[in-house]
Amino acid sequence: MIEIPVYAFTGFLDSGKTKFIQETLEDERFNAGERTLLLVFEEGEEEFDFSTYPHKNVYLEVLNQETVTTKELTALVKKHKPERIVAELNGMQLVGDLYMRFPKEWVVAQEVMFADSTTIMTYNSNMRNLVMDKLMGAQMVVFNRLEKGQDIMPFHKLARAASRQIDILYDYIDGSTEFDEIEDPLPFDVNAPVVTIEDADYALWFRDVTEDPEKYNGKTVEFKAQVAMLRRDKNGMFAPGRFIMTCCVEDIQFCGLPCKWDDAKNLKPRSWVKVRAKVSAERHFLYKGDLGPVLTGITVVDAAPAVEEVCTF
Amino acid sequence: MDFPFVTWYNYYIYQSLSCSAKGSEHPVQYKRTERAEHNGIIDDFVNFYYGYVESCEYGRCKIIMTKIDIYSGFLGAGKTTLIKKMISEGYQNQKLVLIENEFGEIGIDGGFLKDAGINITEMNSGCICCSLVGDFGKALEKVISEYHPDRVIIEPSGVGKLSDVVGAVKKVIGHDVELGYTVAVADAGKVKVYMKNFGEFYNNQIETASTIILSRTDAIAESKLNTALEMIREHNDKATVVTTPWTELTGEQLIQAMEGNASLAKDLADLEQEHHHNHDEHCGCGHDHEHHHDHDEHCCCGHDHEHHHDHDEHCGCGHDHEHHHDHDEHCGCGHDHEHHHDHDGHCCCGHDHEHHHADEVFSSWGGETTKKFTSEEISHALEELDAGEYGIVLRAKGIVAGVDGNWIHFDHVPGEADVRTGSASVIGRLCVIGSQLNEQAIAKLFGL
Repeated sequence: MIEIPVYAFTGFLDSGKTKFIQETLEDERFNAGERTLLLVFEEGEEEFDFSTYPHKNVYLEVLNQETVTTKELTALVKKHKPERIVAELNGMQLVGDLYMRFPKEWVVAQEVMFADSTTIMTYNSNMRNLVMDKLMGAQMVVFNRLEKGQDIMPFHKLARAASRQIDILYDYIDGSTEFDEIEDPLPFDVNAPVVTIEDADYALWFRDVTEDPEKYNGKTVEFKAQVAMLRRDKNGMFAPGRFIMTCCVEDIQFCGLPCKWDDAKNLKPRSWVKVRAKVSAERHFLYKGDLGPVLTGITVVDAAPAVEEVCTF
Repeated sequence: MDFPFVTWYNYYIYQSLSCSAKGSEHPVQYKRTERAEHNGIIDDFVNFYYGYVESCEYGRCKIIMTKIDIYSGFLGAGKTTLIKKMISEGYQNQKLVLIENEFGEIGIDGGFLKDAGINITEMNSGCICCSLVGDFGKALEKVISEYHPDRVIIEPSGVGKLSDVVGAVKKVIGHDVELGYTVAVADAGKVKVYMKNFGEFYNNQIETASTIILSRTDAIAESKLNTALEMIREHNDKATVVTTPWTELTGEQLIQAMEGNASLAKDLADLEQEHHHNHDEHCGCGHDHEHHHDHDEHCCCGHDHEHHHDHDEHCGCGHDHEHHHDHDEHCGCGHDHEHHHDHDGHCCCGHDHEHHHADEVFSSWGGETTKKFTSEEISHALEELDAGEYGIVLRAKGIVAGVDGNWIHFDHVPGEADVRTGSASVIGRLCVIGSQLNEQAIAKLFGL
């Protein structure tokens, strides 16, 4: 099975996706003659102009993202025999829903989101789930149509709320671009002898520790959480965690970490506890065999519930 | 209150039973005669309700009917701007409540609303992943019972289906709450791409709306506007479409459009009636048929039925108007009151205005257009109509946009054309009636 890399471009209508893909395919450095299948799931105002490409083996297919099937996609590979795929996704659909229908050999090599700075904030307040969906999966987000001197903090915060890793590029209307190099100090000291997490910061810490478990390897942390039991590992293990809301009430999820604790079976599910534990980056079935944070309890004591039971970023 | 086979279509007489107070708002028990159609059988019956009185005079009360208007449209379409315009120009002297479920670029600022005496309720479920239904219905019921408004204006999330909102509203509809205008606001320049890429929810807004108001029509080329209109018409051929820039229209004109009084069908019906009456067939009913523009169910008993709620004014015709719906009591006007309820603007001249297409002698042609004309072009076209190639033209009438920014009104009877400038219309409309009309040629003559 030969893997086919997919370069996915996400974002809403009129956010500059087509223009960017057009310019990329015009560029000899990116288009050195590989057979490229160009999948378009959204047809905006801009159109592709094949006449300016240095190599002509780019094959355009316009598809409906809502209804496209794995079978159809596989058939397109057979038809065009592409070495790589460039896909322009529909902003009003969830990215993951499409990826699930990708044939096995398709591997998303890169996902870049485009966001029109003049509309993205309104979109975010009205369809936050769709905005977050794109920000959370992308390696890079481009905020374009910015005025020079405009306050970029709202965009920085928007992107960072979704992902700590995402690269942020600001694209100004005068043609200049600028990478986001704003550091966001974490609200807790990672180098303290005991890393103490305030109730309000649990979501931030949870994201940080799951994204970068090695940073916490060997460190001692203390946080307040609710008790959850692990279905597959009831003896000597539990999962302290909190309910986290990313977008709205509909997406509240329990986010816990596996914690070794001999007396786990005597803990009352859903009760509040203060946990002090050592973090190690281990492979665990909860992480599907990947490296993730696994705690070893030092103390687990009953505690009063957090003021805000549901935690947000 | 949704009965599958029952169509409620008249809310009529309000007679208070337990009212003693005069003047301001107060609750009251009242009696209402209603009519329902069930599998084609029409039934009248009297119901007793508790309602809320708007005003009260001499023991007769006007019960508040709350109408719920919905302004849907994608983000950035201009819903808020339109609602602001409607509040300041269209909904005058009405008690309003505004429910917003969208956080737009332009907020409706509190001061403006306060000045206008409007209550604002923001639904805090800010995104579409939170469902409308449960909380929404409750919030709606609450504002109605709390404020007893004449109108509730809803600005739903731009990424929701209008039919879902209508569905949620219908659950709240009862004896004193009814659905008002269902509007879709659409950015004229974006109709094409949105239809292509947004799929269901966007088309649903267009399909469900009874009035489609296009925004930023002056920012795009005429041909593009025309394409947008055609695409909209493919999804909804019944709604009134407004293509005229909003600055050229008054709130009152927009209300008329939402009421369905600015549609081609209405124009054609009016024109036919005018035509008939201009031909000396007076019906002696003593009222002026030119006022057919009000959807008013005229009859010949010599009094004006215009205001449903004005049933307090006795007309001396000797019978109680409460019983209009009683089919046994003929009023002698020679036509069946059953037809009062067809909003076709009936009159008493004794012949059927209802189906103009069934008319063997007359035929009619009507067109909607965003095209801009010069007076000369219109005059020329009207002269051409007399040439005979287009059939026997008896009457032509219309309002179209002029290239100079003015609107051209024309009225034509054979050999005599009146072309003048006048106020804007929500969309350009032309009607021609006559016999053996060559509709294709007429459309071509006007460049449609």
